[in-house]
Amino acid sequence: MKTNENPYIPYYATVEDTWFETGGERAIKTFKVVFDDEEVRKNWNHRPGQCAMIGILGVGESMISISCSPTEGDFLRFSVMRMGKVTQALHQLEAGDKMTVRGPYGNSFPLEEWEGKHVITIGGGIGQAPMRPVVEYVKANYQKYDGLTMIYGARTSGDLCFKGEFEAMAQNEDLSCHLTIDIEEEQWDHNVGFVPQVLLDVKPSPDNTIAVTCGPPIMIRFVLENLKKLGFEDDQIYTTLENRMKCGIGKCGRCNAGNMYVCKDGPVFNYAALKEIPEAFS
Amino acid sequence: MDLDKLRETAAEVAARDDVKYLIGWEKGSYGYRVAPAFAEDADGTADMIFSPLCTANLATYLTLVEKLPLPRGQEPDNRKVALMVKGCDSRAVAQLLVEKGIHRDEVVVIGCPCPGMVDPALLSEKYPETEEIAELKWSDDGFIIVRNGEETAVPREELLAEKCRLCRYPNPVVSDIMLDEPVESWEPAEDEEVTEIEGKEVEGRWDYWQQEFSNCIRCYSCRNVCPLCYCQDCILDRINPSWVFRSVNFSENTAFNIARAFHLAGRCIECGECERVCPANIPLGKINRKLAREVRDKYGFEPGLDPESEPFQASYKPDDPEDFIL
Amino acid sequence: MSAMLLNKEKWPDFVEKLAGKTIWAPQGEEAEMRFAPVTEGEAPALEYGNTRVPPKQAVFPQTETMFRFQLGGEELEIPKLEEEAVLLGVRPCDARSMAIVDNLFSWDENDPYYFKHRELLTLVGLTCTEPGLNCFCTSVGGGPASKEGLDLLMTDLGDQYLLEAITEKGEALLKAAGEVLEDAGDEQIKEKERLTEEAAANIKRNVNPDGIPEGLPGLWEDPLWQRVSASCLGCGTCTYLCPTCHCFDIQDEVEGFSARRCRTWDSCMFNEYTMHTSGHNPRPSRRERTRNRINHKYSYYVDKFDVIACVGCGRCINLCPVNIDIVDILRQVKEAL
Repeated sequence: MKTNENPYIPYYATVEDTWFETGGERAIKTFKVVFDDEEVRKNWNHRPGQCAMIGILGVGESMISISCSPTEGDFLRFSVMRMGKVTQALHQLEAGDKMTVRGPYGNSFPLEEWEGKHVITIGGGIGQAPMRPVVEYVKANYQKYDGLTMIYGARTSGDLCFKGEFEAMAQNEDLSCHLTIDIEEEQWDHNVGFVPQVLLDVKPSPDNTIAVTCGPPIMIRFVLENLKKLGFEDDQIYTTLENRMKCGIGKCGRCNAGNMYVCKDGPVFNYAALKEIPEAFS
Repeated sequence: MDLDKLRETAAEVAARDDVKYLIGWEKGSYGYRVAPAFAEDADGTADMIFSPLCTANLATYLTLVEKLPLPRGQEPDNRKVALMVKGCDSRAVAQLLVEKGIHRDEVVVIGCPCPGMVDPALLSEKYPETEEIAELKWSDDGFIIVRNGEETAVPREELLAEKCRLCRYPNPVVSDIMLDEPVESWEPAEDEEVTEIEGKEVEGRWDYWQQEFSNCIRCYSCRNVCPLCYCQDCILDRINPSWVFRSVNFSENTAFNIARAFHLAGRCIECGECERVCPANIPLGKINRKLAREVRDKYGFEPGLDPESEPFQASYKPDDPEDFIL
Repeated sequence: MSAMLLNKEKWPDFVEKLAGKTIWAPQGEEAEMRFAPVTEGEAPALEYGNTRVPPKQAVFPQTETMFRFQLGGEELEIPKLEEEAVLLGVRPCDARSMAIVDNLFSWDENDPYYFKHRELLTLVGLTCTEPGLNCFCTSVGGGPASKEGLDLLMTDLGDQYLLEAITEKGEALLKAAGEVLEDAGDEQIKEKERLTEEAAANIKRNVNPDGIPEGLPGLWEDPLWQRVSASCLGCGTCTYLCPTCHCFDIQDEVEGFSARRCRTWDSCMFNEYTMHTSGHNPRPSRRERTRNRINHKYSYYVDKFDVIACVGCGRCINLCPVNIDIVDILRQVKEAL
């Protein structure tokens, strides 16, 4: 692909559409963006699991998961939680506004390796953002996989991301889609309970299956425990890490977990490798 | 100073059930170095010392220690922290008590009456440091350097640290246990360094500090070593908004150093640690002593003397001077 | 590569031959000495131990403008780096640090700023004949006359300097100096070797790093980390003064409508270095941060690039305000293995 000679120089992209996934102080807003430069647009080629540095000139940059699969079209999607200086500024953007993008960064989910297997994604809260491209990719290449199970939960129904897409997924008979919220609500006709418990209830078979999980650290901990209970081996489990980042290209030094740089060696890690890194779950 | 008595007392304190650990000084890893030492039990105090090399102000550790979230079900360890203090260090403890940065029942203060520290830079310059661990002792009229069994007597004036020449409170102002009889105070020297800068024209002062602050590498060792710089959320670390940019240049460096000095006005207890630790050799003591002098001369106030007093900035007297109001 | 002699009387003539290049040399009083571009006309004197601040700022400035822009504008102006520079009298350990850091800055893709500075820079080294108190370069693969990273090595032989070209860049400098120099003979080379051996023998501090890179991860929960970090102030002295420490922050700085994106040195010893926006910090105390500093230098970097990211210059030992001594820590690591 065409790259800037200087990897720190971002490309411009225009927000084509934007909407709120969730509300509240830490609202999540999704941006669908398109690169301004046609050549960049054509040559951009990310894989599910990768991230990009998005930002606003004069404010700064943040590393954000690319939450769409390349199979969806020549655009990018980012779902951003309002947290700090940069994400607050990003939340001000509306359709037609510009942001800067550089990347894609990091490794990705080895989806080619998983061909022929059943894929199960287990996500919580904003952790569904890096899962979504996996779901979309497998859906787009369904004949290559032995089915897809999605488990996704949040505290309340208002905290679930990508809600609009679930209706269609729930009706797709090829997919096994399980939504859950922590506390009972009126007019909620899906599961109630924590994600790790729903995983046990769904009881996926570990045979020829890959499990991918992303979410709050406490959820990941219990999901890992329960996957083991279900008979999953470490190397059947993948997760993603996040750490503070500045450069995205393995130079600035701050994202390391043990001897791994999350921006380059990650963000996707196989659990068999990850559990050898003492700092990984700090 | 009787080291046996020091160690005996330290061992007793460290062994107390209500004491989490005791902070004292130990010989360092080479040369003239002395290292802060943390003893959780009596054994840990066996090598503790008090000597003219014990410049480190241990009061900074009272607020430096991180308050980490506890694992579920674990009770916080609320036992006391014991620490050894010189006169100046004890003023930091007193000021922390005034500001309620610490509470009296959280600390055990072991007072070390202090005949004066050596200036480590001056010492190494005149008696070059070697890898052999050297000791210093006080004599009646100065210091004795002990190295490889050989003793070298040095007159007090030759090596005494600047902050100690100016010292008005060599004896701890707060303590639970005193390790020795109080030392006789000496006539504090005139602070000529500050007077000299005051005597300069504005341009001269500006040039002087421009030169000095340009050398700052923003390692923040001055801030971190300072027992009274203990904000959980320092203005310098803030990025939203950024009050001081991280870029290193005269303007930002000055903003940092001035901000720190202002925040210490009426609070700095003149322990001189900022100046000692600065790897860029910036005479930070001068700027803090200037502000201390202003507060002393104009308001008759000295911080860190009475744990029961009110903080300077929080006290108002009808006859406070108003010269600064334009 | 050639070896030449420079009579010290002709030192100013040699320096004059470098005209057109910015000359970085040690400047200032001993306690504040650092490498800085020479402004006055005089040839810099090279009688010094080592600078407090390492010369890494010649290739990795503490503050580097990555690009400038106007708020609301789209034009990004990238500073043009085109001035050639010479680092004159750099110590072999510091030159070696650049060779080590090159690995990181070229990992998969080159850092354009670092390598532009690097490309424009010629490193003229100075053999150490009087090692400092805390030098331990010989423990970590260096030496008083190590040539790694250097273009030219100078050795003080009393009345003259021996100049040995190491790279084409160094050779070009010798060529440019022309008649100022004389050919060196075996005798001077032997003298240099003797001085180097003598200097190496005078290095007092040492640690044998064998077993440390592989062993460190196993000591993750060892009590030694609490012990060695208890007195740490959490300041940036050790990392800012370390020639191989290379971590940086990137911030946008706005003044009025003019803005720049710049990078500045950062330190893994600072609390907010790894702090997430949520407030969660994966390295919440000085214990974890100290452990990371040692692991990064002596284990992680070795895993990635097969070299220890420490050149044994001793700066972190010399200037730690509370006597945290890396040689002493490594000795404790060895004991714990």
